[in-house]
Formats: sequence, C-alpha cells, structure tokens
Amino acid sequence: MTESTLFTLAFILYIFSAFFYLAFLFSKKMGSARTGSILAWAGLAVHAAALIARTIESGHAPFTNMYESLSFLSWAAVLAFVIIDFKFKIPKIGPYLMLIVVGLVALASSPLMPKTATPLVPALQSYWLWLHVSVTLLGEAFFAVAFIASIRYLAAGDPAKKERMDSVSYRCVAVGFPLFTLGGLVFGMVWAYKAWGTYWSWDPKEVWSLITWFVFALYLHTRIVMGWKGKRSAIIALVGFLAALFTYFGVNYLLSGLHSYA
Amino acid sequence: MRMKSFIKFFSSVKLAIVLLIVLTLASVLGTLIPQGRTVEEYAARYGQIAGFFSRIQLTHLYHSIWFLALLGFFALNIVVCTLTRLAPKFRRAFRPHVQADAKGLQALKLNGRLKKNAALSEAKSDLVGLLKAAHYRVRETAEPPRTSLLARKKIWGIFGSDFVHLGLLVIIAGGIVSGLAGFRTELAFNEGDVVQVPRAGFELRLDKFTTEFYPDGNVKDWKSAMSVLEQKRPVLSKMVEVNHPLSYKSFNFYQTSYGWNWDNPAVELWAKKTGDAAFEKKMKLRLGERAPLGDKEETIVAVARFVPDFVLGEGNEPQTRSLQPNNPAALVEGFRGSEKIFSAWIFANYPDFSKIHGTKDTDLAFELKSFEARQYSVIEAARDPGTALIWAGCVLVMAGLGLAFYWPPWEIKAVLEEAQGKTELVIGGLATKSRDAFAAEFEKIIASSRRSK
Repeated sequence: MTESTLFTLAFILYIFSAFFYLAFLFSKKMGSARTGSILAWAGLAVHAAALIARTIESGHAPFTNMYESLSFLSWAAVLAFVIIDFKFKIPKIGPYLMLIVVGLVALASSPLMPKTATPLVPALQSYWLWLHVSVTLLGEAFFAVAFIASIRYLAAGDPAKKERMDSVSYRCVAVGFPLFTLGGLVFGMVWAYKAWGTYWSWDPKEVWSLITWFVFALYLHTRIVMGWKGKRSAIIALVGFLAALFTYFGVNYLLSGLHSYA
Repeated sequence: MRMKSFIKFFSSVKLAIVLLIVLTLASVLGTLIPQGRTVEEYAARYGQIAGFFSRIQLTHLYHSIWFLALLGFFALNIVVCTLTRLAPKFRRAFRPHVQADAKGLQALKLNGRLKKNAALSEAKSDLVGLLKAAHYRVRETAEPPRTSLLARKKIWGIFGSDFVHLGLLVIIAGGIVSGLAGFRTELAFNEGDVVQVPRAGFELRLDKFTTEFYPDGNVKDWKSAMSVLEQKRPVLSKMVEVNHPLSYKSFNFYQTSYGWNWDNPAVELWAKKTGDAAFEKKMKLRLGERAPLGDKEETIVAVARFVPDFVLGEGNEPQTRSLQPNNPAALVEGFRGSEKIFSAWIFANYPDFSKIHGTKDTDLAFELKSFEARQYSVIEAARDPGTALIWAGCVLVMAGLGLAFYWPPWEIKAVLEEAQGKTELVIGGLATKSRDAFAAEFEKIIASSRRSK
C-alpha cells in the first residue's frame, strides 16, 4: 500500500477512535473507551507504516515540510497518549486528544499543505534532522497531553479527579521537558554548530524554544520549590504548551528566520 | 548591601521566578521587533519611536546591556541558590543522620510496626538482607537497647537540580567565552585561490568547487574541495559541504555561500533570420570577443555587455540588481566592416522580448541560450573556544534532568528494640518523588519481613 492510502486509513481509524471516546464521554461506558483505545493503537500502527512508506519513497526523514511534520506530530501525540494511558489509565483524556489529532491530520490532508516530497536542500542533509526533529516533536506531544490534562483539571469539579489530572499533567511534563531539552535545544545547538558554524543565533525559532523551556522551568520551580499545585500549575502548563505550539507553528508563518524549511 | 542580605536576596527562589518571567517576556519582545536591521528600516516601520527603540537597545535586544545584565543576575541567582542548598544536601548524602526515633517514623505516611520472636541481631540481619536484596545501601548505628537502620538507594537523585544548574552556568560561561574570544570571518575563493586564514598560521586553498543539482533543477549540494597548506605545503584535504565542515587546529571551515564571477562570462547565442527559416547559427562568445555570423552579408557579432540581473536604473541605464542570475541579459552588437549596424539587449528568461534596433534594418533575431561564469565559493572560518563548555554544559543539564526525574532517592529508616528476647521493629519510608512506586516497594518489604518467622 502506498503512503497516502495508509495515511487515509490511519485518519479513518483516528476518526472512529475519537467517535468511540466521545461516546464514552457521554455514556460513561468503559466498553466505548476500550474500543476507542484499540482504534487509537490500530491507527498508530497504520500511521507508523505510512511514515515508514513515506521515508522509503522520499529517501529522507518524514518531517521536512509542513505536511510531513504535521503527520509526524499527530503520530507522536497518539504515541504519547497511548503510553500515558497505558501507565495511568486515563481514558478521559482520549476524546480531547483524539479530536486534536483528527484536527491535525485533517490540516495535514488539507490542500493548504503540499504533499509532494521535495528533495532535501543541502542544509537538511544530515542525520541530525532525524534526531533534532523527532525528539523535539515527541517532547511537544507529551506537552500536548499535559495541556489536555490541565484543561481537564480546570474543568473537573471532583477533587479526586482534579488531583489525578494534576499528577498526570506533571508526569507528562516530566517526560516532555527532558525530551524537548534534548531534541529541541541540545540537538538543535549541535546541528546548528555543524551546519551554520554557530550553536546559537537568536533566530526566532531558537528564541521561542528557549521561551517554551523557560515556561516549563517556571512550571517545575513553582511546583517543586514553592509548592504551587493545581490551578496555577495547570495554567502554566497551558501557557507552556501554547508556547511550544507557537514555536512549532507560529514562528514559521509569522516570524522570519533561519528555520525557513517547514 | 551587606553580605548576608546580598546572599539572602540572591538565594531566593522568588527572584529566580521573577527573572524567568522577565527573561521570557524580553525574549518574546525580541522576536516581535526584528533584530539587527538598518536605521532606515526601523524608521520606516516604527516612525517616531524608532529612535527610542534603538536608544534602549531593543533593536539588538539579545546583546543589549540590560538583557546581558538580566542573564548575569540569573547566573548569580543560580550560583547562590545552588550553593546555599548544597551543604545540607552533601550532609544528607555523605554524612547522613542514621539515628531515628520510633515516634518520628510512625508519623511518616509510610510506616510499619512488627514484632519478632527473635533476638535483635537476628531480626536486624533479616531486615538488612531484605533491604539489600532490594538494592538499598544500609547504614546502622547502635545505642543499646536500640539499633537504628538507614537504608537508601539512588541518593544521587537529590543532586539532579544541582547538575542542571551547574550545566546552565557552564553553558552561560561558554556563551561568554564565545562572545569574547570567538572569531569568525568569511573567505571567498575562486578555484585555485590560496587564502591566508586570519589569526591562524596556515593557508587554505580551494582546489575545486562544484554545485550538484537534483533532476528537477534544485540544488543538491555545494562542494568545495579544500586543502590546508602549512608553509605552502598541503597537509590535509577535505571535501567541505553544508553539514560537513573542515576542522583543522582550532578552526572550523563551513560552506556558507557561493556566487558567480561575472567579469568574463561565456555566452551562448542562437541567431536566426525571420526572412530565412533555414538559417540558424549557434555561437559561443566571451565578453568582447567578435565572431563572424556566417551569413551572406558577412555580419560580425560581439557581446558588448552581460548583466546577471537586468534592471533599468536611473535614466533608463541598464544595470544589474544583484549578483544572482535572476534575469540574465546580454548586449549583442552587429558590425559590417567597421560600421555598427545594430545593438540589442537579449534576455535569457524572455526570448520574445529581445528586439533588434539598429541603424540599418536587419531581419536577425538572437536568443540568449546559456551563459557560463566561474563560480566562487564562500567559506566561513570560525574559531569558537566556547563550544567545549557548551557541550559539557549540555551533558550536565541532561544528566541532571535524568537524575531529577528518573533517579528518585528513596529512604527507609528503622528502629529495632529488643525486650525479653523479642524485637520490636518500627519502619518508616520517605520519598519525595515516584511515591506510588516507592509505596508499593515499601509495602512489599514490610510484608516479606512479616512473613519471615
């Protein structure tokens, strides 16, 4: 099967997964959540096959333009969710996350995003492309799950549920923050040094990754040292995810700089 | 400021939080105002307040005095914060307080109390065995009739944040070294050029420069075959490409740019006659070179000028907008004998636009088919002694994050007291991270301890 067939199949599986999770949200029947989870896993597997097919077809890493990187980000978000769900059993995150994933995949499929695989410009011909982008997007995917857990925290009324969402949000940041630091900042600096001859140029995308890092550093310090939990913590996690989203998306469209690839 | 209040001010986490917020907002501001542009650009964009922006250095914000001062405060804050917290942490890690009291342990969230029909030494070795099997390091202190045990694992986890902070300081130090001692300059090479590298005792030679293309015409790679020369002798050769710099001594050389040398291009012309469909002549001319067209009028053709990026300047004077071949154009002239009979600008991208206007009517038409110019390669030479610190700092930060999040220190304390041949054990557990996993392990140890005899 070709990449586009697999991608469409994954899209359909994600839509059904979102549907069953939504049914669970309203009916509270665990069976629906289980079906949603199985469909999410299936979508993840098919989507992985699509990414592999894309890599083989194009001969390079599957995140060199906006379509590819959106596709990879949505895959990473599902991966982050199924891992967190496997560990903490939080089906309530499912409907929101799967809706976001369906949105991202729809955006990737839209005519706005050119799908043709273009050959790599010289600056991107490096194995650091794999390391830098995949680890960064995986970190951002965990921030996305933290974002939803924080929203659920703010929306929930029951203190036990709130406590749980607060802890899930923290666990996601505990995974996402080291990944983002490693992929976005450390690998980014190493690659910039190899490609541009300087590890830091205050390019808008670099600055926005630093801003994202500052916000999550703030999250950790207020939480661990000052004991801020709950509402304030949730709000900082929200801001952090929005900063990550702007780093990923907004910088490309609103600010110009060296990262003019995707 | 007295020393004490100075330390108190800079050891505050509140200051760290304020600084993080201020640094974040300043960084955002720097991405909203384009950095390092010309005075004219700022004037056009911001009008009256442009002068104010440049006075408070918003136009080069990340190198402004106030931003660097903020970073300096931040570094000082990290130093003082970390140092003031380090001494108690060292005591806890290397000179721990082993002695415990039963009441204190029972006040802990995780605690257990059991009685054993055994002598203290037996009960103790039993518990120590269990703890060691679970990879705890056990210390003990005895003050009869009581013995206290302290069992811990992954105690290095308490230093996670310190490693991160130390790493950040090393990175900041690396940035300072880069800023003060770093040196970079661009060197342009024609093929065969030998250039003395500034501030270095060696020379660099470009042996060959090639541009590779994909089938669709996009650039695949720029390759500069470079040689390092010591006392005019080549000592090292390497193909320098984007992402593959050449390293020699403390210098790195990067492929950064390229361009064309437009002084002496070769131009390929196709001549046709509107009145004679059979006539076609292909010719390749250097600038200024004259060649016969081979028609019966014995016309001589020459290329008088070539511009890579044609534009009409003031007074309709043809000139080039850039050194990129965006709109290549050649001025073709025709002669019969010594008389110039026509001259015409012809355009590679607009073959239909090329019109012949001359002193005599001619039915000649020219096309600018191709052109060749020597390409030169631009290599950036950089020496940055700060990078070693940067990488060391990155390793420390990542190690610290690993310790802080995934190396949770767990602590189990016990007090054993013997009375009439029986021993009472009071056990308490303490963890600040991964509490659920610790609770499970703690309960397991208590349960195994209960089971044994």
